[in-house]
Amino acid sequence: MKYAVEVKDLIKDYSKEVRALDGATLKIPEGKVYGLIGPNGSGKTTMIKILAGLLAPTAGEVLVEGLNPQKEKRELHKLIGYMPQETALYNELTVKENLELFGRLYNIPRKELTDRINDLLGFVDLVKRSSTIVANLSGGMKHRASLAAALLPKPKLLILDEPTVGVDPELRATFWARFAEMQADGTTILITTHYMDEASRCEEVALINQGKIISQGAPKEIIQKTKSENLEEAFLKLTRKGGDK
Amino acid sequence: MNIGRTLAIARKQFLSVRHDPRTLALMLLAPVMAMLIFGFVFGTKPEHVPVLVVNGDSGKLAQQFIDNIDHTTLNIQNSTDANDAKNQVTDGKKTAAIIFPSDFSENTQPQILGPGKVLPPKGTKVQIFIDTTDEQLAAAVTQSLAEAGQKLVSKQNASPVTFQTDYAFPKAKDARYLDYFVAGIMVFAITVFTTLLTLLAFVGERSSGTLDRLKSTPVTEAEIVIGYELAFGAIAAIQGILLLAVAYFVYHILVVGSVFLAGLLIILTAIDAQVIGVLISAAAKRESQAVQFLPFIIFPVFLLSGIFVPVQSLPNWLKPFSYILPPTWSIDGIRDVLLRGWSISYVWPHVLILLGFAIVLSVLAVLGLKRKE
Repeated sequence: MKYAVEVKDLIKDYSKEVRALDGATLKIPEGKVYGLIGPNGSGKTTMIKILAGLLAPTAGEVLVEGLNPQKEKRELHKLIGYMPQETALYNELTVKENLELFGRLYNIPRKELTDRINDLLGFVDLVKRSSTIVANLSGGMKHRASLAAALLPKPKLLILDEPTVGVDPELRATFWARFAEMQADGTTILITTHYMDEASRCEEVALINQGKIISQGAPKEIIQKTKSENLEEAFLKLTRKGGDK
Repeated sequence: MNIGRTLAIARKQFLSVRHDPRTLALMLLAPVMAMLIFGFVFGTKPEHVPVLVVNGDSGKLAQQFIDNIDHTTLNIQNSTDANDAKNQVTDGKKTAAIIFPSDFSENTQPQILGPGKVLPPKGTKVQIFIDTTDEQLAAAVTQSLAEAGQKLVSKQNASPVTFQTDYAFPKAKDARYLDYFVAGIMVFAITVFTTLLTLLAFVGERSSGTLDRLKSTPVTEAEIVIGYELAFGAIAAIQGILLLAVAYFVYHILVVGSVFLAGLLIILTAIDAQVIGVLISAAAKRESQAVQFLPFIIFPVFLLSGIFVPVQSLPNWLKPFSYILPPTWSIDGIRDVLLRGWSISYVWPHVLILLGFAIVLSVLAVLGLKRKE
């Protein structure tokens, strides 16, 4: 099996006192919708930033699409799309101008870029807002625009940090339908979330707590293994006994 | 009014300062630094103004005149070649050349022909070849010479010394302080605004996550820095045109040289200021912290780059701080162009130094953006 992400014994210290990742090990098979699930402060965003080459790990091995995110950043960045937790768009530009900027950074040809932008604006339901300054959008709209920016390069690996925060249930369903479509096209999607109901939509998940991966596998398997009703209960059981390994 | 609540508000302020030691340091250090530099800069008068003396006098009086000159104000070097001395003034190396004629002693003192037979001095002129583009330095020269002349009259019973003044830059003969000041204030405005805008833009890039998003795309750190430089260079070009237009049409400043060359220096100034903004942004997590750096940009540039007081007049220990500020070089270069009418063949060192700053600072900014967290 080919893996989009391989992480072994990953440690990240922000300072002597703060260890965000504490020996995390993780394998994400290619072409899956994979969830990294854990409460706030569990190390999800740190993990994602390391995978995207934005943070250097303190120790451990990381391969993303077979590349070292620190040493082979340039090659890697052509293959991934990243949606940070913050909106991370230029507030003073319009939605369309933001998308054009990020498209140009991937050298997408002009004509193709226009087509992709129009398609994505339809998908995130922002066609009517394409000329609105981002600062004037609601929180949910900003989030949708941010997702559109991450989808723009048609990445091999799409990394989404809490993509559905502030998104209404109807649109959330649309998002997941799109993720399924992309997955069918061979895209690997890594999503972090602290919503357990959403985690159940992933084919595979890793539960992360205090910088350690405490369980990995299909949500159903984890639920069965822990004799729980749902993923939330499974998580609580696992954190109480300190993981299933 | 409830005193408990009032004190709670005051206490909160002290607590927030205590948790942010840098704010505390800045609150205490910045005003002291500002006051110290202000005192040193404005407390001094021009000193060591470089002048050349060509003493062609066959007698001793010219030497006595020279000895009477205040040697702290003027840094006097001797020359034997009047033409070479003048060239050094025209090249901007010296502020003035003072040339004593061969008949100075003879025609300044009364001639005693015999007992009771005294001829009044015929009188002669000392030639001053002076650069008036820096009004303060030029004034220091003429004032020192006038004082030395008076001393000679009172000590040696000589006739009053008259001077014949020639101008190294005739078009800037009547240059006002304003003409001199305008270059400084243009560079100051562009430096402070550009640094501040870039600083805030980059702190915004960091805090809003856009920098992370940029860095997750194929764009390189060098492309980010140079992209910013292109934008701010273009903005500076427009700012420069506007400022020069105001200076010319409202203040009627003297423009002897090429405005395009002055414009080039302004653009380079903006690029340097912009990269400094990028560099400082690495040390600030929030906009509020970025603003704390402002005094450290404003005061040194305001006081040390020669806007008000010529760098020449600063205490020696302050001069190195002057020379490491890009605005010092742009102000000097723009004055050379606007007042002296110098072309690129004279101001290329300024252009090169500003370009050098831009390259070195850009490399540092790129490394700063690449820094691993």
